[in-house]
Amino acid sequence: MKIRTALVASTAVFLAGAASAETMKIGITQNNVGVDSYQTTYEKAFIAAAEANADVEAVVLDAGGDVARQIAQMEDLIQQEVDAIIIWPTNGEAVIPAVRKAHQAGIPVIVTNSNIAEAGFDFVKSFSGPDNITQGARSAEIMCDKFKEMGIENEAQVVHITGQPGYTTAIERAKGFEDRLPEVCPNVTVVDTQPGDWNREKSQQVMEAFLVKYDDIDGVYAGDDNMGVGALNAAKAAGREGIIFVGATNFAVGYEAMGAGEYWGSIYQSPVDDAEAALKTAIDVLEGKDVPFLNYFDTPKITQDNMGDFTKPVF
Amino acid sequence: MQPGALSKALKSGAIWGFIVLELIFFSVAGEFLSLSDKAFMNWENMLLLLKQSAPIGIIAMGMTMVMVNGNIDLSVGATFAIAAIVLLDSMTWPIFAGLGDWVIPVAWLLALLVGTALGALNGLIVWKTGVDAFIVTLGSMLGYRGVVFMFNGENPTSHLNWTLVDFAEAEFLGLATASWFLLAVTLVIWFLTKHTVHGRNAYAIGDNRDAAVNAGIRVGPHMMINFAIIGFLAALSAVVFYSESGSVNPNDGQLYELWVITAVVLGGTKITGGAGSVIGTFGGVIAIQLLRKGLGHIGADTSTVNLVIGCILIAVLFLDRQLNVKGKEELKV
Repeated sequence: MKIRTALVASTAVFLAGAASAETMKIGITQNNVGVDSYQTTYEKAFIAAAEANADVEAVVLDAGGDVARQIAQMEDLIQQEVDAIIIWPTNGEAVIPAVRKAHQAGIPVIVTNSNIAEAGFDFVKSFSGPDNITQGARSAEIMCDKFKEMGIENEAQVVHITGQPGYTTAIERAKGFEDRLPEVCPNVTVVDTQPGDWNREKSQQVMEAFLVKYDDIDGVYAGDDNMGVGALNAAKAAGREGIIFVGATNFAVGYEAMGAGEYWGSIYQSPVDDAEAALKTAIDVLEGKDVPFLNYFDTPKITQDNMGDFTKPVF
Repeated sequence: MQPGALSKALKSGAIWGFIVLELIFFSVAGEFLSLSDKAFMNWENMLLLLKQSAPIGIIAMGMTMVMVNGNIDLSVGATFAIAAIVLLDSMTWPIFAGLGDWVIPVAWLLALLVGTALGALNGLIVWKTGVDAFIVTLGSMLGYRGVVFMFNGENPTSHLNWTLVDFAEAEFLGLATASWFLLAVTLVIWFLTKHTVHGRNAYAIGDNRDAAVNAGIRVGPHMMINFAIIGFLAALSAVVFYSESGSVNPNDGQLYELWVITAVVLGGTKITGGAGSVIGTFGGVIAIQLLRKGLGHIGADTSTVNLVIGCILIAVLFLDRQLNVKGKEELKV
């Protein structure tokens, strides 16, 4: 018995030794863990995914929202000669020179969650994150499918509340929605579009104005659930029923409103998927696989019908 | 040996002893815990350390002057952000469009001027109103930060100029541009405190303000000059740092005042004024950056770094107090 355990143990040691000979050292510098639960969950998921993979050793760093510290962490990772660096930029432009330094040192850089500015694209191997155009398009499909189910796909009128003007995420989601809706439901009209600035109160005010202005509103598309719930509150206060609310980035408030039957659907964006996709992208780059420059992870549709398949978002 | 000489030597040497301790600890722990094959005490790594110390270090030199004076400046982080915005934004102003890359020195000068003016404004208020510097600069910390947010809302202010980045990333005699600035500032402020009338007055005022007034030192203008110096250095720190990064978030520089004060206190400057040294502050700055870097090297997370620095700060002040008590006891004998 003893001999056998010893054998097993020594084999295990040997295997571990063989594995570590070709482990990939991957460093990550995150934006600000702890500022919201999306980022906290992301870090936990990243560490778990790295530990589950025997070929990966991860150096997990957090910039605490401080650009100076993130740049110092980039320099440290370059100095430690890691094989690849994943960066969640604290500022899409401020980190470009640091990213260039890594590029010049021959270390591939993967940007995660939110992309750096275009001036830095030459120094980056791949961006891993959500595809906001697809998210917008899927929201359009969710809304159209619901209208068809209700039999109003030829007369429905929709209002659109966008995110903060100038933000890439806001622009891309709006574009995805506005391009896709006429393709799937050509007779649905978008009667008005106003920015809600990612803010629930602002969105509620915008919706209040819409409700006064338009007697017939069948659907509301909001750039994220936070704004979607703001609009929902406005409709509830005005006593207007039967409006189909569709959002994006499913928040806990949106999930709860869906559970209560007041909110129709959204797009599920999981920090766990986000983290795992970033690590996977880095590994693929190191293994020499062909990785698209914009490497999106899947953000599925979630509606009242299938919400049981998803856990409630933590944020 | 004179009574108290040992404790005095211990006090001024404490920070360097602590740095040696950190180096040994991280070198040994790094062997077991670090994923890096490189030793922590690597020459390149130490050079990088000096460079990364620059943003906090440059401001800390000015803070030493102000704290020796018996004052404090909490607004340095906000001044840092304003100077950064002036630097990056002024490069895009249409009136400078014809200058080409000569806009860089102009932008530097503007940022430094603004920083100096903001510091001098603090000093003027402290001088003319007689309100405690802590309160005045607490107010200006909030006020200056408000200005930062008024300028561009929540959005970052950006201007990437590769000529500037190349200059900031350049190395001369193995040292990065930022390291040279840190060393030069340390040297100048050291000279100022040790070998000029202004510097000696700073200690006199901090030790006993009434006595200094009676000795004919013009305390108000003196303090204002020191506030202008720290404002200038906060701007210089921003100029050096943002030359290399090209974009400033509206909350950049937040908590810098606390890191700077921590470094100064670790370096042995008395928070009540009258005692302190620029060389000690330099040690304090290095000690903090070493701790940040070292804990990152062995895989500890950011929150651990803050916890450890907090504990050490209290330990250092306690040690300082104990040594002072001993010195006095020996005098009695």
